[in-house]
Amino acid sequence: MLKLLREVFRTGEATVKYPFAPAEVSKDFRGKPEHDSVSCIACAACTIACPPNAIAMETDVEAETRTWSISYGRCIFCGRCEEACPTGAIKLSADFELAVARKEDLTTKAVFRLAKCRSCGEPLAPAKEVAYVADLINAFCTSPEEADRTRLLVATCPECKRKHDVEQVASLGIERQLENRR
Amino acid sequence: MTAITEPRIGQSYITALREKMPHAVLEERWQTHNQATITVKLDALPEAVRTLYYDHDGWLSTMVGNDERSLNGSFGVYYVLSMEGAEKCHVVVHAAIPEDKPEFPSVTPKVPAAVWYEREVRDMFGLHPVGLPDERRLVLPDDWPEALYPLRKDSMDYRFRPEPTADNETYKFVNDSKVETTVVPLGPLHVTSDEPGHFRLYVDGEDIIDADYRMFYVHRGMEKLAETRMGYNEVTFLADRVCGICGYAHSVAYASSVENALGIKVPARGQAIRSILLETERLHSHLLNLGLVCHFTGFDSGFMQFFRVREKAMTLAEMLTGSRKTYAMNLIGGVRRDILGEQRLSTLKLVGELRTEVKRLIDILMSTPNFEGRVKGVGRLDPQIARDYSPVGPVVRGSGHRRDTRADHPFAGYKLIDTPVHTETGCDILSRTLIRVAEFFDSLAIIEKLLDDTPTGPVLTEDFTYRPHQFALGFTEAPRGEDMHWSMTGDNQKLYRWRCRASTYNNWPVLRYMLRGNTISDAPLIVGSIDPCYSCTDRVTIIDVNKARSKTISYKEMERYCRDRTDSPLP
Repeated sequence: MLKLLREVFRTGEATVKYPFAPAEVSKDFRGKPEHDSVSCIACAACTIACPPNAIAMETDVEAETRTWSISYGRCIFCGRCEEACPTGAIKLSADFELAVARKEDLTTKAVFRLAKCRSCGEPLAPAKEVAYVADLINAFCTSPEEADRTRLLVATCPECKRKHDVEQVASLGIERQLENRR
Repeated sequence: MTAITEPRIGQSYITALREKMPHAVLEERWQTHNQATITVKLDALPEAVRTLYYDHDGWLSTMVGNDERSLNGSFGVYYVLSMEGAEKCHVVVHAAIPEDKPEFPSVTPKVPAAVWYEREVRDMFGLHPVGLPDERRLVLPDDWPEALYPLRKDSMDYRFRPEPTADNETYKFVNDSKVETTVVPLGPLHVTSDEPGHFRLYVDGEDIIDADYRMFYVHRGMEKLAETRMGYNEVTFLADRVCGICGYAHSVAYASSVENALGIKVPARGQAIRSILLETERLHSHLLNLGLVCHFTGFDSGFMQFFRVREKAMTLAEMLTGSRKTYAMNLIGGVRRDILGEQRLSTLKLVGELRTEVKRLIDILMSTPNFEGRVKGVGRLDPQIARDYSPVGPVVRGSGHRRDTRADHPFAGYKLIDTPVHTETGCDILSRTLIRVAEFFDSLAIIEKLLDDTPTGPVLTEDFTYRPHQFALGFTEAPRGEDMHWSMTGDNQKLYRWRCRASTYNNWPVLRYMLRGNTISDAPLIVGSIDPCYSCTDRVTIIDVNKARSKTISYKEMERYCRDRTDSPLP
């Protein structure tokens, strides 16, 4: 009994003032993921990495947009999105106070414009993603001509690429060459 | 299959089994150097399991049902035995069950530990254990449609939830008492809790004559979810959520099961970090249970003190992993965060503080006059019952059996150190409490040891290729005992089958024997002493056998009676 009393006096006040004073969290605490729509290129890497499917992408071909969204109600704060993001557009913050009054407020969205295929004009991929890849190309290509050609390829939809390939092969006239050789 | 280079451990058991039962063993496959799966003839199954269990110091760790019809045209049952005799290893006894005749001879009459597993495999796969003494459902609700077996691959979508057809439970509770008893139902639901269980205590006056209970009111269908919706690397995060207290132990068990199946060598530093975090988890879990023991014995000031100090263990976890509870540290191949120099220093400081503070609190607890009186000789688990039912953790160690996965089958960073194992022979709540106290201080020492000479190098390897239809075991010693996972990889980066067995699953069946012969006011204390991820059992039905009266008492009232021991709520 005396020992317990001594322990109680030794401890003094054990509680903290939260919520009337801010609660401290550790340095690398995994809290609310913050999305930066400026650096996001809507590539969907986070969507694939997210274990509980809190992050989602929806493409609206009619409106030519792609909508990125995160539901903080589903998020498990694992930080896989942060690891997957190529541009550092999503980072876990130290914020843990996520309560909202309405369920819809748990979801945050960002809408991205889709780029059109250079050849057929159909919606292809998020404009920012195409631009991001186009920028990377300069680093890999040896000549400006090659860079231009690759950039054009990046901005072309798979369907058109296939068509062009066929046309190109046809224009080589393999059949004719075979005939001649015979 | 990757070539296993280390010498095989456990061959002698299989050789002995082949000698005793010629022609029974059809196939022998080795997953790792100390994990073997033997396929036996279906009718030889019970005797093969019994031989390994009783003649070769085997303990039943888990049993896995598997719908392998798309792979080999049969269902499979895998009895996982932890061999703890001269050679420490795991031997899995597998038998194939033909698709057109889904039944197998029950092992339970020979090895009682199999009872819950066989009831579960019948519920989930529709495999009928012939000769199983207990024919009741275990996992599925009473009004679940007949012939709908959730884990069969062709049965249902993982989101399917049949409408309940009845308002009342029709579950038949078992009472083995010879005299007339009164029934005390405890549970099943509490509006604010997530872990319900329904207890029935059969009493004669104040004495518990027999007890029965049922769990699984909140079965979450995690295994089905993992197999259908998640990639193999995402399941580590799901496994983190199996338990609200010792989830990281599940995550490590799952990750190592896949690593064992694919032959992935996790870097030593990653392994050491896993062990440091597992011990961190044990710190807060054991402090929680020590707090609860105070609470149930009416020593609430002690409860508050233990929970105050426990906060330091939570801070430690938050600092090392970024989260107080769901660590999210594992990936297949290692861990996601390293422990930095500065974190190491703060950890050592916190460990030191925890040691002095908890020492003082234990001193206070043990010198509290009525504490020993409440826990000594109460909730006795007979060593032979423990041997028959394969309980795990402090429950089995409190009954004199030296079983600890960390020492028996070293995994993760425990390969680098010698883990001390504590046993007590009192078989009572006091023994279990003392073991938790000793293990708490061991955990502190292990953390210090591993931080002092942590291997250097990477913490994660990505140098592996995912191959389908490989399987193996993964295990950890959670604060409550051994967690056992069995995973089989599948196509499309998904699991074919994930079997997750939490430690408390093995401890529930013996609770009945621990309750018998005690008084009702000790019931919450006894249930608390197996440290169940605490089932917030709401109400108790007490049935007096002699008076043939039944009364339902709220759990709050029951708990109050356990603490105060005055004003009996009985009629």
